Amino acid sequence: MRAAVALWERLWNTGKSMVVGHGITIREMFHKPVTVRYPEEKPPFERGSRSVPVLKVNEESGLLNCVSCGLCERSCPPSCIEIVQAIGADGHRKPWPETFQLDLSHCMVCNLCVEACPFDALEMADVVELSSYQVQDLIFNKEQLAELWKTSRALRVAGGECIDMGDDTVAAGVVRS
Amino acid sequence: MNILLYALLKAVIVVAFLGLNAFVLIWAERKISGYIQRRYGPLRVGGPAGALQSAADILKLLTKEDFVPGGADKWLWTLAPAVSLIPAVLVYLVLPIGKTVVLQNLNIGLVFFASVTSFTLLGIFMAGWGSNNKYSLVGAMRAGAQLFSYEIPLILSTIGVVIATGTLTLQGIVEAQAQHHEWFVFPQFVGFVVFYVASLAELNRTPFDLAEAESELIAGYFTEYSGIRWAMFAIAEYSNLFTTSALGVTLFLGGWHGPWLPGWMWFLLKSYLLVFIGIWIRWTLPRVRIDQLMDLGWKFLFPLSVANVLGTALYLMVR
Repeated sequence: MRAAVALWERLWNTGKSMVVGHGITIREMFHKPVTVRYPEEKPPFERGSRSVPVLKVNEESGLLNCVSCGLCERSCPPSCIEIVQAIGADGHRKPWPETFQLDLSHCMVCNLCVEACPFDALEMADVVELSSYQVQDLIFNKEQLAELWKTSRALRVAGGECIDMGDDTVAAGVVRS
Repeated sequence: MNILLYALLKAVIVVAFLGLNAFVLIWAERKISGYIQRRYGPLRVGGPAGALQSAADILKLLTKEDFVPGGADKWLWTLAPAVSLIPAVLVYLVLPIGKTVVLQNLNIGLVFFASVTSFTLLGIFMAGWGSNNKYSLVGAMRAGAQLFSYEIPLILSTIGVVIATGTLTLQGIVEAQAQHHEWFVFPQFVGFVVFYVASLAELNRTPFDLAEAESELIAGYFTEYSGIRWAMFAIAEYSNLFTTSALGVTLFLGGWHGPWLPGWMWFLLKSYLLVFIGIWIRWTLPRVRIDQLMDLGWKFLFPLSVANVLGTALYLMVR
């Protein structure tokens, strides 16, 4: 008797779970797929995600925030940052970089340079499509890094993450000699 | 001469339909499985929603190397895909597509269908034995046990319909349903359920795809096959999926009988609805174990189909 009851119970449970299961799959079928069709549509970046350190541009003066103090260069574990300080016509060292090179092929995206920077001159960008067939193409100079920052900033503005201060301030001359 | 030409034309039509059916069903299965799993399925390969995916697949399979594994039994191995394709083609002979559209209205239609589909096992076994591979052999043995076990409830479940109509021709069975405006799915509901479950098992489809269980047997009996030979297995499989659904429609869902639309359209519509349900089941239920499979076949479906036959016979006798 007990076995018979168990059999009916098992049959009932089997039938019920099959109906419920098919209900779930047919409902899933009419949901919008979660797939993001990558090259056509791009997924939003999570906050705090990082891809490459880039040089921020001062929104008022249109110049780099970097004063060429070299802290990021020293804090960089794989030593992929290389800064040469500018030297003016008067022979004195000037508070901006002559060259600022970042070797992305070595960079491990650790964020330590951003944390070390006392002048808010570096930021982790939201740009990821940087692959190249040539390793030399992965060495970025300061103009390229500022350009990447602008691209990244435009993405963030479009995503509503920060307020646009106007393109012209950003687009103004980045390099000073 | 005329008869020969006519026969040739019929054969060409059947083979063309076979290809087209596989073409559509492979794409449909991938799309449906994609949407069930909240994906898109094929999208990039030409046409709306990746409709040319199958064409790309066929091109890829045709350009593959024709490879025969070293230890294989060459004759058995090379013949197996063709042998598994033959029953898939032959069963179209008796399917009543419309009121007057049937290739050959055999008076033993149902028996012909059942006996020809049993031949599928031969191709599977030839592939499994000829590959000289343990996975193929185990897959073929499983397929053998499974197809043999489920053949019996499958045929017994159709006997209720045969008793009720008193004919073995598929055309006659559909006409009997059309005359009384009553599809056999209602009086023969148990028979229909047994038929559908057993037919899924006959087709080696999930939840009964033990013969090609990837996680245990790589691909079962067609582990060693690639290129066009593999494609022949796939075409036969999808054709069998359609023909078995079509047989279900003929026996239980009134075949070409239906209002407004022409008969062949109803037939195709109902058949592909059953195919869709098969795909739906495939992407919902997990695979059963071999002992559960045997339990379901022998301890549940077999007694149920026998009881259905006896009940139908008794009812018709008493009435």
